[in-house]
Amino acid sequence: MTDHDKNTYQALFDHNPDALIACPACDTLHKAVPVRAGHIARCTRCHFKLMDPKPDTLTRTVALSITASILMVTMLCFPFLTISQAGLTGEVSMLEIIFDLSHGWYNILAVMVAAFVLALPIVRMIALIYVMWPLHQGRPPPPAAQQIFLFAEKLNPWAMTEIFIVGTVVALIKMMGLATIGFGTAFWLFCGLVVVVALKNAAVCRWTVWSLIRKSPS
Amino acid sequence: MTRAIDMGWIGCHTCGTVHEGDQTHCRTCSATLHSRLPNSLQQTWAWLITGALFLIPANMLPLLSNLVLGHNEGHTIAEGIAIFFQTGDYFVAIVILIASLLIPFSKIFVIGILLLSIQFRWQLDNKTRLLLYEFVEFIGRWSMIDVFVVALLAGLVKLGAVISILPGTGAICFALSVIFTMIAALRIDSKLIWDAPAKDTVE
Ligand SMILES: [Zn+2]
Ligand SMILES: [Zn+2]
Repeated sequence: MTDHDKNTYQALFDHNPDALIACPACDTLHKAVPVRAGHIARCTRCHFKLMDPKPDTLTRTVALSITASILMVTMLCFPFLTISQAGLTGEVSMLEIIFDLSHGWYNILAVMVAAFVLALPIVRMIALIYVMWPLHQGRPPPPAAQQIFLFAEKLNPWAMTEIFIVGTVVALIKMMGLATIGFGTAFWLFCGLVVVVALKNAAVCRWTVWSLIRKSPS
Repeated sequence: MTRAIDMGWIGCHTCGTVHEGDQTHCRTCSATLHSRLPNSLQQTWAWLITGALFLIPANMLPLLSNLVLGHNEGHTIAEGIAIFFQTGDYFVAIVILIASLLIPFSKIFVIGILLLSIQFRWQLDNKTRLLLYEFVEFIGRWSMIDVFVVALLAGLVKLGAVISILPGTGAICFALSVIFTMIAALRIDSKLIWDAPAKDTVE
């Protein structure tokens, strides 16, 4: 690093601090140059993705989040799996599976499934709709937009729909010797949900949202 | 290469917005600003050690117990994998082997290496740092597969009265271990990893 670099950055910062970006992963300063949709700007030092603008990010995220929430709620109303064993057939929904678990210390497991698979993903979808719908309409950001969008982003690693579906497949193979298991309507809805959630997460462009909810430097 | 800290500025850890050193909250995303996360090392060590401690009973105690006609056969994670290899269910055996044994142990190992590299200012090359950090960030949550499997089996088998599968204490310890190491990973300030000069850059 030279004094010349420092002076360049200082001049840029004095003119407009938003012309600079410090890599969130390694703190290296970069000039924020506009990036075309579909292209990725990476940190020159650590290759962290600084900006990856997506086409129509607001429209697509809102549409996919609404689709995903509808799928999630519908899914809860249908049987998830059917079981035939010794001539008896039964079916269970996701909620029944969770309630059957919830006694004694198994409650911890029930709470984990309910939170990671159902509650946190849907909270994240609602938070994204809340922030991005007004922006999509060209209106100013809703109250507490920054805090709610930050919360939605923090939730991301804890929303585990895609992990649950792999768990379901493994559980079915484990059960094969013990009973005949069939897929209920909710299982197929859940598979659709996993795809929609993946598309939704890929559609979110954090950079676009941040540039719309940013406050001017004080 | 100039860092925000070299200029006396603070770069937001979430969105990268650059602020004067006296700001407390990001004007873009509202996250609390720190030049470097305070006590990042101590906090990560604490969560990591807790996670590692829970991984011990998670592997010693039964993950599941099958009450087959009153006869109790529990099995641990490793025994479960062995059973599936013996019965020829290679898909399940490999998924469980990766998700329940390889990922949790290697994740604790990798976080440990990252922390030591920060503490002793090891000069790792940039490629290794990136690889280790991405591994920790994105892979760890897949360990939850086995927790969901146990929850489903226990929730399902109650339908028939012939057998009942109950979650073992091992499953709870395992789930807590995964959660604690996920928190540990989130407490790492990756900027600290990059503060030590790299082996492959000449400055
Ligand atoms: Zn970087
Ligand atoms: Zn920020």
